[in-house]
Amino acid sequence: MSAAFETRSEAVMAASPGEARDFFALLKPRVMSLVIMTALTGMATAPGSVHPVLAAAALLAIAVGAGASGCLNMWYDADIDLLMSRTAKRPIPAGRILPSEALAFGLTLSVGSVLVLGLVANLLAAAMLAFTIFFYAVVYSMWLKRWTPQNIVIGGAAGAFPPMIGEAVVTGQFGWHSLVLFAIIFLWTPPHFWALALVKSADYARAGIPMMPNVAGPEATRRQIVLYSLIMAPVAVLPALMGFGGLLYLVVSVTTGLAMIGLSIRVWRRTEGQPAVKAAYSLFGFSILYLFLLFAVLLAENSLGLMWALPKVIG
Amino acid sequence: MSENRKQEVAPAPFSPEDMARRRRRSIALALVLGGLVIFFFVVTLVKTGPAILNRPL
Repeated sequence: MSAAFETRSEAVMAASPGEARDFFALLKPRVMSLVIMTALTGMATAPGSVHPVLAAAALLAIAVGAGASGCLNMWYDADIDLLMSRTAKRPIPAGRILPSEALAFGLTLSVGSVLVLGLVANLLAAAMLAFTIFFYAVVYSMWLKRWTPQNIVIGGAAGAFPPMIGEAVVTGQFGWHSLVLFAIIFLWTPPHFWALALVKSADYARAGIPMMPNVAGPEATRRQIVLYSLIMAPVAVLPALMGFGGLLYLVVSVTTGLAMIGLSIRVWRRTEGQPAVKAAYSLFGFSILYLFLLFAVLLAENSLGLMWALPKVIG
Repeated sequence: MSENRKQEVAPAPFSPEDMARRRRRSIALALVLGGLVIFFFVVTLVKTGPAILNRPL
């Protein structure tokens, strides 16, 4: 950046008014907390163990890596973020952080987090974290998001990788446990995001993003929400059938899975006016609770000794 | 860009608000750097074992 300025005073005047909290906001802390939860569950359900300090260090690296990819996403999407009510107040479109600062911050954290994970865990986990950052920042943000209505379906893989990284930290390889956790998050992403996209379709249209409701229409989106929920709910029960989820997980995954299907059907049936908006928001809100509950119960059962083991049906 | 031109233009003065903001950013950066030092120290101890501290002076 400095080469663009002729004098020190010009460079000083161009410094952003960003506070530390604005840089923290670039890391998408809410997404980061979900990544911490899912990666930790991947570690807890992995067959093996790792020193708690190294586990904590690896988790920090994974969280920072996820935050870095969120930062790079905000850097690239600043132009369209400005056009949408949900994102216009983010640090870059609001003018609190310069795009060049965000780019430097995101790249530094990306490289740093991958190196640290390689040092405290192993090369496979570090490579997977690097791939996840690349997938979210480049494949999703720069390519899929503005090109296809399947953007969040394929891009959802980036959000689903953390349990696999968690398992790789513990075992040095990928196994069935984390693959099932990957599938749960991957199948959860479309109903979660499309519920929001149904309500915010005007925003996405203004920004020119080809979200499913804008391209295929609300009716087709509603049908696909139901379809994905019908596939996701049984897949979410698999941990109980494979022996790494206990009785509590079985009960929670079945009841909340049925609730997800029920709320999806409500979105499908209520197509007009305020009831439709309310149904979509209910599904969006509950989907966050759903994923959190599934992973929290798995985590508690596998790390706090709360497992009431069930007979292994699969695997 | 010559040295002469650099000297001609005085740096823009900082307002008290600018200074306060810079100070907060600097403190946050210092805390992060301090945290990293402790982080690498602890991770090194765990990876190599506590025997690394047990050496003749």
